[in-house]
Amino acid sequence: MSPFAWHPRPMSEKNLVELVIGVTLLLFLAVFPVFGVGYWVSFVLTQTFLIGIAAASLVFLTAYGGMVSLAQTALYGISAFALGNMVTKGAVKGLHLGLDPWLAVVLAIAITTAIGLVFGAVASRSAGIYFLMITLTYAVIAFTFFGQVTQVSGFSGIAGIADRTPALVGDPVTQPNRLYYIALVTALVVYFAIRHVVRTPFGISLQGVRDDPVRMGSLGYNVALHRTLAFTFAAFIASLAGVLYGWWNGVIAPDNVGLGATVDLLIVAVIGGLGRVEGAWLGAFAFVVINNYVRDVSVPVLGGSFNTVIGLIFLAIVIVSPSGLMGLWDRLWDAAGYREGSGPRAAAAAGTAGPQA
Amino acid sequence: MGRLRGRRWRILLPFAAMAIVAAAIAASSLAAHSASVIRLAIMSDCKGAFGGAYELDIGGAEAALAQYAHGKPVSSKKPSAGMTGITIAGHPVKIVGYGCGNDTVPVAISETKRLMEQLKADIMIGPLSGDEAVTIAHYAQKHPTKTFIIGTAGSQDPTLQIAPKNMFRYHGDGAQWNAGTGILAYKKLGWRKAAIIMDDYSFGWTSAAGLIADFCGAGGKIVKRVFPPLNTTDYAPYVQQLPAPSKVDGYFWVVGGTGTGPSLKAYESAYGKVDPKKFVGNLFFFFQSGFADVAPRLIGAYYGGFGNAPGLKTAGAKQYEATMKKWFGPAGFNVTDSFVYNYFNAAHALVIGLTKSGGALGASLNASLPRSIKAGYQVSNGGQVKLDSNRQAIADQYPQQIVKGPDGKPAAKIVGYVPGVDQSFGGFFKKTSPPPGRSQPPCVKHKFPWAGHIKAVQNGVITKKTIG
Amino acid sequence: MTEAAAHAESAEPILRLRGVGRRFGGLHAVSDVDLDVIPGERRAILGPNGAGKTTLFNVVAGDLPVTSGRIELFGRDVTREPARQRAKLGLARSYQQSRLFLGLSVEDNIFLAIVGVGRGHLRPVVLPRKDAELRARAREAARRAAIDGRLGDVVGALAHGEHRQVALAMALAAEPKLLMLDEPASGLSRGERQLLTELLLALDADITLILIEHDMDIALRVAERVTMMHEGRVIVEGTPAEIRANQLVHDLYLGSHYGSEPEGGASG
Repeated sequence: MSPFAWHPRPMSEKNLVELVIGVTLLLFLAVFPVFGVGYWVSFVLTQTFLIGIAAASLVFLTAYGGMVSLAQTALYGISAFALGNMVTKGAVKGLHLGLDPWLAVVLAIAITTAIGLVFGAVASRSAGIYFLMITLTYAVIAFTFFGQVTQVSGFSGIAGIADRTPALVGDPVTQPNRLYYIALVTALVVYFAIRHVVRTPFGISLQGVRDDPVRMGSLGYNVALHRTLAFTFAAFIASLAGVLYGWWNGVIAPDNVGLGATVDLLIVAVIGGLGRVEGAWLGAFAFVVINNYVRDVSVPVLGGSFNTVIGLIFLAIVIVSPSGLMGLWDRLWDAAGYREGSGPRAAAAAGTAGPQA
Repeated sequence: MGRLRGRRWRILLPFAAMAIVAAAIAASSLAAHSASVIRLAIMSDCKGAFGGAYELDIGGAEAALAQYAHGKPVSSKKPSAGMTGITIAGHPVKIVGYGCGNDTVPVAISETKRLMEQLKADIMIGPLSGDEAVTIAHYAQKHPTKTFIIGTAGSQDPTLQIAPKNMFRYHGDGAQWNAGTGILAYKKLGWRKAAIIMDDYSFGWTSAAGLIADFCGAGGKIVKRVFPPLNTTDYAPYVQQLPAPSKVDGYFWVVGGTGTGPSLKAYESAYGKVDPKKFVGNLFFFFQSGFADVAPRLIGAYYGGFGNAPGLKTAGAKQYEATMKKWFGPAGFNVTDSFVYNYFNAAHALVIGLTKSGGALGASLNASLPRSIKAGYQVSNGGQVKLDSNRQAIADQYPQQIVKGPDGKPAAKIVGYVPGVDQSFGGFFKKTSPPPGRSQPPCVKHKFPWAGHIKAVQNGVITKKTIG
Repeated sequence: MTEAAAHAESAEPILRLRGVGRRFGGLHAVSDVDLDVIPGERRAILGPNGAGKTTLFNVVAGDLPVTSGRIELFGRDVTREPARQRAKLGLARSYQQSRLFLGLSVEDNIFLAIVGVGRGHLRPVVLPRKDAELRARAREAARRAAIDGRLGDVVGALAHGEHRQVALAMALAAEPKLLMLDEPASGLSRGERQLLTELLLALDADITLILIEHDMDIALRVAERVTMMHEGRVIVEGTPAEIRANQLVHDLYLGSHYGSEPEGGASG
């Protein structure tokens, strides 16, 4: 289900509540660094924003294109590696070309988007499990490439990316608020860009491709081209996350694009909810917070393995709500309406299917 | 909200609850900690290739804190259960967290941030592995008010190329660990031409660099270098690249982790049974992960050490081993293991440094951390491990041999004593020289300071007999 | 096929099939079909289940490649061209199972049919004026198919009869030169069939219509010519009156089924 695909219609009660929550949250985030904790600004939330952007590229492909891509982590890594190779100077691994920071950003995004175009063109004729396998291959290629081609990285990765940021970004260590706001604004831009694109002819026809590609062909559409361009757009989004990650972490290593990281991004998208773009950031937030705080909880069972506990929490989320945390919200809303006595049908109408005629 | 009819507002309750929890968590991290409490983090690996060393590392560090700083382990079987009562120079020391790495750079950096920024540690002991240490060295550079004492890591860069002023290492790097072993291959095994197979990443290169420098320095020639990628499963293609056993005097085998066994098997299927006299390795020849697969094939083979000296019968060694047993005997550690030993020395140095600085941190602590420290397996320099100007250890090394133990199982035996090995190999490795890599260092004849001073060790006693 | 040849003389055909065949493994779903349809013609294709009618539609629309023969559309050889090129030339079709985009609203489904034959498939920005114009056309098509009451509803939530209406609206919205409808009446109520028949009769004279329909009332009221298929081949072609009178047709197909509800939905 893709709630943004429909043409503007009267705002439902649920839309209104979501709008109020969203605006409140945004205001909260906008002022958070003024009184917030340094670690929450520099680590938890900045990371949430940028991981959310990468996850949003996956949610976009899945929700609107029907393409579950395992290559999004690789693409955002490629962007960070490209940035690292071009921007760093001196005694670090990689090419350390020492380019102008902004130029390096533009090139990193352009290179990643171009690679996304090629990846997308190759994968666009497949669907389902085959598409999944092809994108998995991309992930493996990226990991192996950066691990073994020591000229551009090697296993220890490229460090010092954060030493050469544009003046606007400053030093992410001593000026974390700047990167926080840049990541927040980028996340917002990505969010609204996706919401906009899915209402355009390109976006609507992408959803048509998702629902029935053969039918789209008989309506006159070039299905492979649509898939390719959607993949390219998603690569562009992922490249933004990669640049932010480079600045934020300072280091990019092959393990950032390894299988573990690839699965992590999938987990983020799934626990957030693959059906709605907001889910990307919700999932990223849950992922970062759970990963970060559960390990300080002492675990009396399971041999004290917090990793197992984290896994179980994610499992529980998915079992309780297969459509993730956003899906949970949708269901809670419906349930609340039902108890009120307006009936499930009316709730479904208000919540998910728009006003009935 | 006027449009929210009836009880719909209840939908917001879970969100309000979540907001409160989030705020509480945020507030708890905000809570100012008492200025006099010193906050310490111990970073190790609990996952990945070295995950098994987690308790060993923490145990090593905590034994020193117990011995020298009044710490009380919560459990003598499980060091990670925590420690209470640590006091140095009148200041309580709190272990704010244990880092759980997995031998990868991304996790190392996020764990470091968690420990240093969220849990606000002032000092880190760790990490465990080479690439992690490289990353954390870059981090340390950007966080000059924090202090980092490397736990056990074999990469060269953190203290040679990067060398932040707030980072210390009281043990050798991967190249130092192998000092003397290449000379033994030349002198004791009579090798002149050898080939080397090494893991294609920084630890493999650094470890191989020690063997290559040493062997070539003595006059040997490396005729072929082969570098399989890390985590290779089929080593046959790489073994095929090695010259046949008839073409070389022997092989330096620098394949670690889970690859040691499979790589030896690939050799056996190509050339027949391993001849231990034609194989010299690094610490992975006798390592947890390969006990069953690796060591039994190699009875008699020499290999580089890990900075430790199992079986050394000196007063210092006995005292150190007794200390470990005293605090964590029930945990059943192999106390001679270098994971334990290196973390112990790191924590010991910290206690000395904090005592001298009177509990002051940052630059003051960095200035106070000892430039030489008494260590169990150190013999030269009056039993003191000395730091060089990059705050990197100059330490004795012990080439070892796999022998059949009394129980018939393979055992490690130290065969040589290489006094006072420094990271630069007497100026051979420089900050400006390319770090170890696929073709670095080059194979050149060179006299290293320890050449001609390597003594035989028999039954744990260092003899006067020079073996290389 | 002298009859077909004679018919074709009257005007340049909009659709010309020569020796068209489609095999699935050993099964000849369509074999050696010759067919000429002239502009503005109303053609019904009849035949029992498994006669190859839908397969014929699929190869004409380009959803399936032919295994033999040649297809000309609007005077152009399109045998090797993909479905989307044929759609661009002015061919629109509907499907037996409606094949709508279940995750999209009624209006968006029709919108896609309009954009598909036009330009700007890949336009990634909203252009309010342009979009409003396209959507106005979509709503007009919905009105003609009497589904304009459910414009904003997601198609997955609609009833079966409504799906047929949406499919019809999409076919109309594309403003095709050649409209191919595959059993548009199946599953419709009597009232809805009546509406459908009126709609088909009121179609623009320049639209050429090819219809697969089991409902003989509709088929024979709407069609000017009828092609009868059996086991993948064309066996008879003629006017409705000729078909009604044809003994073979009676034997094979009409018989007792004439005028009554056909059994089963899926024909070959």
